[in-house]
Amino acid sequence: MSVIAPKFRLGYFLKSLTDNIFWIIVLLTLVGIPAIMIVLFFIDLPVLDGVLLTPFLAFTMMFHPELAVPVVKSLLYSDFFRIAAFPGFGFAALLAAGTIFAERKLLAKLQLRVGPFYCGKFEGILQLMADGLKLISKEIIIPAKADKPIFWTAPVLFVATAAAFVSLIPVAPGWVVADLDVGLLAVFAIIGFFPIITILSAWSANSKFPFIGGIRALHQMVSFEIPLILSLLGVVILTGTLNLSEIVESQSNYWFIAFLPIGAIVFFISMLAELERIPFDLPEAESEIVAGWLTEFSGMIYGLVQLGSYLKLYAFAALFVVLFLGGWQGPMVVPPFPAEIITHGIEAGPITVQVPGLPITTQEMLNGTLWFTLKTVAVIFFILIPRGVFPRIRIDMLLSIGWNKLIALAFINIFIALGLLYAGVLGPGGLL
Amino acid sequence: MTARLPPGLQLEKVDDRIMTLNVGPQHPGSGHMRLIIKVDGDYIVSCDPDPGYVHRGEEKMAEYRNYITNIPHLERPVIHDSCNILYPYCLGVEELLGLEVPERAKYVRVIASELNRFTYTLYWLGIYGIFLGHSTMFMWPMGDREFAIDLLEKLTGARVTHSYFVPGGVRNDAPANFEDVCLRQINYLEKRLKTYADIFYDNPILIARTEKTGVLSREDAIRLGTTGTVLRASGVDYDVRTKEPYDVYDELDVHTNVLKNGDSYDRSKTPWLDMLESCNIIRQALEKMPKSGSVRVKLKPNPKGGNDEVYKRVESGRGSLGVYIVSRSKPEPYRVKLSVGSFRNLICMPYLLKGEKLGNMPAVYWSLNYWPVEADR
Amino acid sequence: MGTATGIIRALNSGIKHLAVKRFTLRYPEEKLKFVGDGYQYDPTAGVGIAGYKGRHMLFHDKCTGCQLCAIACEGVAEAIAMVKVPEEWKHNKKSIMPQIDYGKCVFCGLCVDACPFYALYMTNDYELSSFTKEALIYTPSQLQIKPEVKQDVDIVIDDRGATHG
Repeated sequence: MSVIAPKFRLGYFLKSLTDNIFWIIVLLTLVGIPAIMIVLFFIDLPVLDGVLLTPFLAFTMMFHPELAVPVVKSLLYSDFFRIAAFPGFGFAALLAAGTIFAERKLLAKLQLRVGPFYCGKFEGILQLMADGLKLISKEIIIPAKADKPIFWTAPVLFVATAAAFVSLIPVAPGWVVADLDVGLLAVFAIIGFFPIITILSAWSANSKFPFIGGIRALHQMVSFEIPLILSLLGVVILTGTLNLSEIVESQSNYWFIAFLPIGAIVFFISMLAELERIPFDLPEAESEIVAGWLTEFSGMIYGLVQLGSYLKLYAFAALFVVLFLGGWQGPMVVPPFPAEIITHGIEAGPITVQVPGLPITTQEMLNGTLWFTLKTVAVIFFILIPRGVFPRIRIDMLLSIGWNKLIALAFINIFIALGLLYAGVLGPGGLL
Repeated sequence: MTARLPPGLQLEKVDDRIMTLNVGPQHPGSGHMRLIIKVDGDYIVSCDPDPGYVHRGEEKMAEYRNYITNIPHLERPVIHDSCNILYPYCLGVEELLGLEVPERAKYVRVIASELNRFTYTLYWLGIYGIFLGHSTMFMWPMGDREFAIDLLEKLTGARVTHSYFVPGGVRNDAPANFEDVCLRQINYLEKRLKTYADIFYDNPILIARTEKTGVLSREDAIRLGTTGTVLRASGVDYDVRTKEPYDVYDELDVHTNVLKNGDSYDRSKTPWLDMLESCNIIRQALEKMPKSGSVRVKLKPNPKGGNDEVYKRVESGRGSLGVYIVSRSKPEPYRVKLSVGSFRNLICMPYLLKGEKLGNMPAVYWSLNYWPVEADR
Repeated sequence: MGTATGIIRALNSGIKHLAVKRFTLRYPEEKLKFVGDGYQYDPTAGVGIAGYKGRHMLFHDKCTGCQLCAIACEGVAEAIAMVKVPEEWKHNKKSIMPQIDYGKCVFCGLCVDACPFYALYMTNDYELSSFTKEALIYTPSQLQIKPEVKQDVDIVIDDRGATHG
């Protein structure tokens, strides 16, 4: 039976239009507006010039445009924006989506072919949206003997843990979702959750191939956590603090990778193993165990797992940048905000419009974000390239690398760091 | 168990430790064949290959068709190596009917046969790469295969299943400037093949993964009757093109690549070295080919052989491929038997996979140069 | 150290390939070129003429209705059946001509080899898909039409790689 589009009839088209409009109006009035009212009941509204900004007052912004900029600024500095948009989930998800697209295009170019090409006018740029829509519209099939509560919650937990990891990374001076004094330790506490979630999702699927994949993932992640932590001890020794923002501040003269290259390499390799990227993608080895612990996931659950994976990739790359490549430090390339606009206002023909509270973001924040994004993109490039170049590694080779060679190299790194510290070259009170 | 089992069946004792994995036809790591693997932790305890998923009865069907109509059928077991599987059939029928093939036809046959070796081996290499998780090694051979397939399309008219060889020669002559295009594309293909060395054959991860796995010693290789690249990777210098030359192979300089160790790494490297050798053979054949001449001997309608039988062998991508034809003075052959390299090499699989780690299974299995469709015929 | 150099060489080779041109053929915006006009067979010389084995073309002014093409196809795919045509030709007393079912045809060209009257050739047309199986059966009048085949690109090799251009 071939599905050919039925002929166009104006009556059907108008009927479908009015149906859609009807449902949109019904949903807005019966569900949308009450939901907004309830939410506004609970969020703290910002205070401007001593006046509490109610929704009515927000509507008066149409008549008082000079109130617009302070409202936007106060929204930008609120906690909600920080968690949801920048530097939290929204920024990370945007970079993750960009990473997926860039990975497909980069790999295609390396393999002398075209990647996504037809979705979107320019070289398939809307491919991710098409994939997302496809995954949402698919049926989620759950095996009959699977453990249903855990099967449903495991991917959600995965994304939640990845998002918690993202929330600890500082993007610009003062812009971090959770500024903890023991930030680095919290990072490792969160990383310790990932093997548990993987083994839960593998076990709950109640099938042979996910079982093998889950066991392999457990071995891999646990055995590479130790070199990961050890390789960072060099950085902690040199800075004396676990707070991620302060680690970045202390790299203002030099980057740690210049003095601790071995630690950076060990961290990079352990990072590839934690992320299950090729060459370490055994838990998802397609030719041996169908799809490893992801075998039984279909539809949007699979989409959630992919989102979690790529959020983790962004977070690890950002952590590498923060620890070894100097975070947001970099020469100032952003021009300063022109001062006349603050004092005089914007010249628009004969009139001069006064816009109070204008510099919404500071020059340091823009500069810091720019350098951070550039460095993270460079690190992500180096994470993506091995996918096209190396085959998959075997489990016994992986365990021998993780437990023997990387731990030895990490210890050598610690000795180098201690040597540099006690020789008075680096660290507080040192030469640099 | 009080019920009596029918004779011939036995109960299997189930061990708690051993898990049976069905690396079956619906699996990204098996081709179209079923392997029943019993695993103890990470070690394979026993492997039971189960061929026959794509058995079509080619040999039986050949008994109902005459010598010419058999050609589109007998080339289907290996669709991209179709010239090589028709080669012994055509040589056999030519001997039965007493036909003399012209010189130019022999050279064109050699060129087509070597081009088919490219298409088959690159396809095999692509799948070997993806079995090991190397996606680039899947894309590059598939893309480079286009050069050989493009040449075959210009020559024979079809990309795969060429139906090009007939008893008496080939079906049509090469088109006008085929030699120049062929030379240019073969030179570029050789350049591309050499770039595989850096990224695949000298890749330390691949070497660590495939060296010393699935070792087939020289005596075992001879004893089990293996053939083709599997035999040459175990140190035995036997290539049907040099030891039993057919057509014009005795006038061409064919160098056989023999490697010593007999592990998966050597078995994966020998076809690549063979491909580099094929480039030289094609260049020599293009030089020595007579510039004009007929390429086909006219056949009488409904050709019949006498009461005779003939066996001819050819070196295909997988190994020696033999066709045994029995004729009884009728237009149809009485019996056609295909002796294919894949099925002969299949015997090694239970021996080689026992005691291996599960991670080595794809590497060893596919390195035996196994093509499931051909083994099932 | 051998492993480290091997890894760096592999990465180097991978990154160098980012500068090589992409090889993909952008079908259906670009289509491949063919040599010649399709596979043909010369019965007097007894040898074929190289060409692509696509859809057949039947010359009504040469076909005598001898059924040799149908007999040749019987052992292979049974795709040719002889049907009555409403035309009157002097050389075609029974007024039958072949009708080809492309749902069964394997494009081997043995029918072209069998025709002794230069009446059946193959053309370069390969885009034969349709929505129903009945539409795949091409009647003799449909086989009479010479197809318009779009040909744009061929494989081009230069020093930055090979492309279809």
